[in-house]
Amino acid sequence: MMLAVAVDPDAYSNADDPVSRLRRGDAEALTAVLSQYQHRLYGFLMRLLQDPAAADDLFQQTWLQVMQKIGQYRAGARFDTWLFSVAHNLAIDYLRRERNRSLDEADESGETPAVRLRSSDPGPLEELLESERAAILAEGVRELPPMHREVLSLRFEEDMKLEEIAEVAAVPLSTVKSRLQRALLGLRDAVERRSQRGKRP
Amino acid sequence: MTGHDAIQPMLPLYAAGALDEAEGGRVAEHVRTCEMCRRELADWNLYLQALPEMPPFQAPAGLVEHTRARMIEQSRASAAARRSEAVLLGALTVFGWIVSVAAWTLVRVLARGSLQVFGANLAAGMNWYLVSTAMVWMTAAAAAAVLAKQIEARRVYEPASR
Repeated sequence: MMLAVAVDPDAYSNADDPVSRLRRGDAEALTAVLSQYQHRLYGFLMRLLQDPAAADDLFQQTWLQVMQKIGQYRAGARFDTWLFSVAHNLAIDYLRRERNRSLDEADESGETPAVRLRSSDPGPLEELLESERAAILAEGVRELPPMHREVLSLRFEEDMKLEEIAEVAAVPLSTVKSRLQRALLGLRDAVERRSQRGKRP
Repeated sequence: MTGHDAIQPMLPLYAAGALDEAEGGRVAEHVRTCEMCRRELADWNLYLQALPEMPPFQAPAGLVEHTRARMIEQSRASAAARRSEAVLLGALTVFGWIVSVAAWTLVRVLARGSLQVFGANLAAGMNWYLVSTAMVWMTAAAAAAVLAKQIEARRVYEPASR
C-alpha cells in the first residue's frame, strides 16, 4: 500500500532507510519509523508535558504533522532533531493554551532558582545511593518550568548537542545555555528542598 | 572577570560540557586553586551522571497502532480531497468554456455580429476566442487560489479523539 505523501519520489530513490522510504510513501516504513522513535518521542513529551493524556494526543498529532510536512525535511539532516522540533512546536502551542504564565517560569509550587554561595556541607545527592539519585532527580525535574524540563531532557536523555537543542527549540544558542544553567540550578534547589523536607521531624 | 564569584555560576555548564574552550579553560584554572568550587563541581558531576539515568517513560501499548491507523486514515482523506479538488477544478474550467461559448453566441445574436470595443469587433471569431481564453484562465486561477486556501485551512488539526 502506498501513502499519499506530497514529495518528489525521485529525489530520494537511492536511500533505503525507513525515513527515506516514508518520504516515498511506503506504508511499511511508517511502522518501522513509528516503532523506532516511539519511546523517545513519548518520553520527551511526557517529560515536557507531565500529562499522559496530553502526551498521547501530541504524540499522534506529531506523527500526523510529520506525514504532512515530511517534504520539508531535508534528507541528510538528523531526523530525530526534526521530529522533536515538530513535537516541540505542538507542545508549545498546547502549553500556551494551558498555562497563563511564561514557559520559562516555575509553577506556583516551585521557587525561583538562584545562584548562591554553597556551604561546605555535602549536597543531598552525596548522601543517596546511586540508584536513588536518578529517581530523586526525576522528581525534582517535575518542579521545573517546561522549557527547563525540555532542555534537560534533550541534553541528558536525548544526548543532543546544544546546537541541536537550539534547532529543536528554534532559539539562539545563548538562550539554550542560559536555560540549561537555570534548569540545573533550579533542579539543585528542588532536590535540596526535598531533602530538607525529608529531614524535618 | 575571572574571580570566584564569576566562575561559580559557570560550574553547572562546565560540568555539562556546555562552555566554549576559553570559558572552560578559565573555569578549569580556577577550580585547580579553589577548594570550594572543586567540591561544588564534584557535586554537579553527581547530578550530571544521574540525569541520563532518570526512569524513562514507555509509550503505552496500542499508541503506535492507533497513531498508524490515524496516519493512514489522514493519508486516504487527503488523497480523496485531492481527487475531488482536481474534479472541481476541471468542472470549473469546462464551465468557464461553456459560459464563454454561450456568451459569444448570445453576443453575436444580440449585436448582430458586430460588437465594437476600441475599434475591434469582439464578436469576430478570433477576438472572442482571445478574450474568452483570458477569462477562462482568470477563472481557473481564482479557483486554484480558493482551493489552495482550503487546503491550508485543513492543516489546522482537530484534537485527537482517543
